[in-house]
Amino acid sequence: MNILLISTCKEKLSESEFVTPIVEIIKSFEYDQVNYKNLETINFRIYDKLIICGTSLQDNDYLNYLDDFKKLKNHGIDILGICSGFQIVCNMFGEEIIAQQEIGMVSVEIQAQNPLVSGDFQAYNMHNFSVDKVTSFDVLAKSEKTIQMIRHKTMNIFGVSFHPEVRNEQIITNFLSI
Amino acid sequence: MKLGVLFSGGKDSYLAMHLASEEHVISCLLTIDSSNQDSWMFHTPAIKLTKLQSKSLGIPQIIQDTEGIQDEELDDLFKLVKNAKDKYSIEGIITGALASTYQSTRIQKICNKLGLWCFNPLWQLSQEKLLDKLQTYKITSIVTGVAAEPFDESWLGKELDPTVINELLSLSKKYRINPAGEGGEFESLVINAPMFAKRLEIISSEIHYSNFAGRLHIKEAKLI
Repeated sequence: MNILLISTCKEKLSESEFVTPIVEIIKSFEYDQVNYKNLETINFRIYDKLIICGTSLQDNDYLNYLDDFKKLKNHGIDILGICSGFQIVCNMFGEEIIAQQEIGMVSVEIQAQNPLVSGDFQAYNMHNFSVDKVTSFDVLAKSEKTIQMIRHKTMNIFGVSFHPEVRNEQIITNFLSI
Repeated sequence: MKLGVLFSGGKDSYLAMHLASEEHVISCLLTIDSSNQDSWMFHTPAIKLTKLQSKSLGIPQIIQDTEGIQDEELDDLFKLVKNAKDKYSIEGIITGALASTYQSTRIQKICNKLGLWCFNPLWQLSQEKLLDKLQTYKITSIVTGVAAEPFDESWLGKELDPTVINELLSLSKKYRINPAGEGGEFESLVINAPMFAKRLEIISSEIHYSNFAGRLHIKEAKLI
């Protein structure tokens, strides 16, 4: 299996916080890492799984590259979007992003059976934006405030608004097992 | 970017600052001096020594006193970060947070409220890798507090050199402790590191210890 990790961090220093912990989880597989500004250099056909990692709360530069991200859905590759990656995945299918803040551990309730996680759990959230309704996705899990996990209705494209690399690493390994 | 570092004087906050300094400018050290030794947020026995570290680093320091009462200490942290933003025009904060979502959540909220970036370059780093990085970056620190079995009083003042680091790694297998002290098993003070112009020398100190809990009270120290 060949994995591509996409960093959404404008600052390299943020990558040690948002990308390196995911590398630690997936490092037994073959993987490459690319920054969002360099997506046009990537031959996506060689990858089986894409993980779009999160970034710092103050970092919104990736929003200037949403057109590059939109092309990702055309490759038929399984995608897991984390935090900012969740918003990117929503944007790929025209879902409306709204201001919605959660910072810290929150209780998450499962709404639909799914291959990533079973049973309610606590998740580490850190976002100023989210979605309150989706049309192209099924809602898999919710917190009191917002949608936490989604899956595209026909493709293996997932989004999680929380950071699974903190306390919920199995969500990432389960995504790789699909 | 001009950044301030939440600086306790221990190995984690120094290493986080060192890593950040490779890409950004460190404008100031932000230190909370808590009178509550059991604070969940700020706990280090040798906090007064950060003044000497600041001098050796050539980086100005802002110190905020707190009584360390659970919610009030967050107001004090907010005051400290806001003060640093106003005084040094910093755009972000660096912390040495590794695994505590309790600490990181509170710092992230304060930074977000003030429109500051928050960098946690050690986030989720394993205890073994952290100890490894201390050696790679030539960071010399000593143990200034212990709070778990099997740390007896002989550990107070001990330098975390390669032999001691190996000892910590083997003790972590035998006892249920984090080898780099993430669970509060021990506290450290950096006495020498590449960003220091001068080494910190302890002239006189006193050991306070009973039943696997103790601290090194440093009475006098100087830069040499």
